Amino acid sequence: MAASILSRRTAVLFDITKLNSQINFLPAVVQQIANYNPRPLWLNIKNPYIPDKSNEKTPDWQKTDKYDRKRFGRYGQASGVDPAQLWPSHAQLEEMIGEEREWHPPLQVMLGNIAAKEKERTAKRMEREKIIAANMAKMPKMIADWKKQKQETKQKQKEEKVKRERLLAEATERFGHAVDPRSAKFKEMVAEIEKEEKKKRKLLKRKKREDDAGLSPAAAESSQ
Amino acid sequence: MSANKITGGKTIDIVKNLPRINLANLRPNPGATKNETHRGHGMHGGNKSGRGHKGERQRGNRPRLGFEGGQTPFYLVIPKYGYNANHSRRPQYPPFSLRKLQYLIDLGRIDTTQPIDLTQLVNSRGVAIQPLKRDYGIQLVDEGADIFCAKVNLEVQVASEKAIAAIERNGGVITTSFYDPRSLQVLIKPVPFFISGQPIPKRMLPGEDLLPYYTDANHRGYLADQDQVQAARLALAKKYGYSLPDITKDELFDMLAQRKDPRQIFFGLSPGWVVNMEDKKILKPTDEKVLQYYGS
Repeated sequence: MAASILSRRTAVLFDITKLNSQINFLPAVVQQIANYNPRPLWLNIKNPYIPDKSNEKTPDWQKTDKYDRKRFGRYGQASGVDPAQLWPSHAQLEEMIGEEREWHPPLQVMLGNIAAKEKERTAKRMEREKIIAANMAKMPKMIADWKKQKQETKQKQKEEKVKRERLLAEATERFGHAVDPRSAKFKEMVAEIEKEEKKKRKLLKRKKREDDAGLSPAAAESSQ
Repeated sequence: MSANKITGGKTIDIVKNLPRINLANLRPNPGATKNETHRGHGMHGGNKSGRGHKGERQRGNRPRLGFEGGQTPFYLVIPKYGYNANHSRRPQYPPFSLRKLQYLIDLGRIDTTQPIDLTQLVNSRGVAIQPLKRDYGIQLVDEGADIFCAKVNLEVQVASEKAIAAIERNGGVITTSFYDPRSLQVLIKPVPFFISGQPIPKRMLPGEDLLPYYTDANHRGYLADQDQVQAARLALAKKYGYSLPDITKDELFDMLAQRKDPRQIFFGLSPGWVVNMEDKKILKPTDEKVLQYYGS
């Protein structure tokens, strides 16, 4: 894998051109690796710069951990960096672990969260669908009721109209000329008619009761 | 030419005998077109040279496009909403076609005897990834699925179903895996990372948004159950109507079976190791806590 990854400049620099040469002897059909000609990497590795940490004149950024790591990465052991410095210190590790605990929960926790959310969503959906189904079941009855209601109102309106016309006709008959239904006279007349109707109804009721009473003792007598 | 002049003939006969209409026979009605006023032929284009009279227009000092003289311009008044909302925070996956992959393999820029990773693709200059521009990897697109004929162990970040089928039909293996932005930067440019002297970081798990994608066997997610993946391979073969070749009997089976650990960035390198290019050495930590952190 290594030979095919590293470009020629790195190969030249780190002196591993020998690896590629084996492949050059293979026939062209088998030769699978293509070569590039990249621009040279100007790295001064022979005389590395090692900053003097005790000197005040050296810039602060050359005294940092990060710069030490970079020096080690570039020059290796020749940089004079203690390799143990490359890894985070215990304090830094604590920080990193804390951060990870907060921002990167483990796989199982995340899966649990996802499952919970999914459950909640489906529960909500089922609730809603239940309500919808229940309401849909009620629908035929509600439609029928509404239709009936409409019919009734229509009927009432018709009756009202008929009644009004009748009253108007009565009024014109009585007073001899067209009367405004809103006038006092008309209302008086209406009240009178109502009274008469009431009396009639009462008489009818009394008659009915007498008839029933008359009938039942008669029936009782006949049965006996 | 009018019918009146021809005696005993019909208009249709005349029309039939006329030559075919082409641009040479056509002309606009007189008065239909009017000549454009061109700028003068004097020095600098004559008089005001089409620049207007005084002001910013003539002096070429007009403000930038969209400026409305200080009033908050239209393109700033309208808030970002809906389709374009949070566009700069969305993960992007530049497409990578099977056709391009075949092209790279044919030219020998990619070695099919080794697992093909994003590192290999970038080294062969097949893709250009910009992690800082919210690129989270590549998506395998099925353009060229019918001409694809290479047996590869491929790892991408997103793959379409047809592309997965095309790879598996040729006896290859495809995995979709997640790389968080830092790991991605390390993955695409390993040598500059090694030169920086940092220990290899461990790959983070995908967030709750992407986790369902990578735990799904139909997407060949790296966190999915291997048995489910095998079942999905068979199902896909049935769906697309090809016979799934048995890779266990393949000579390159060990290579094809190679897969990375969810926390691993490079094959053969664990998180926590320091690779030194100058000394050609790999340094491994010995401290317990450090090992515990990188091993978790």
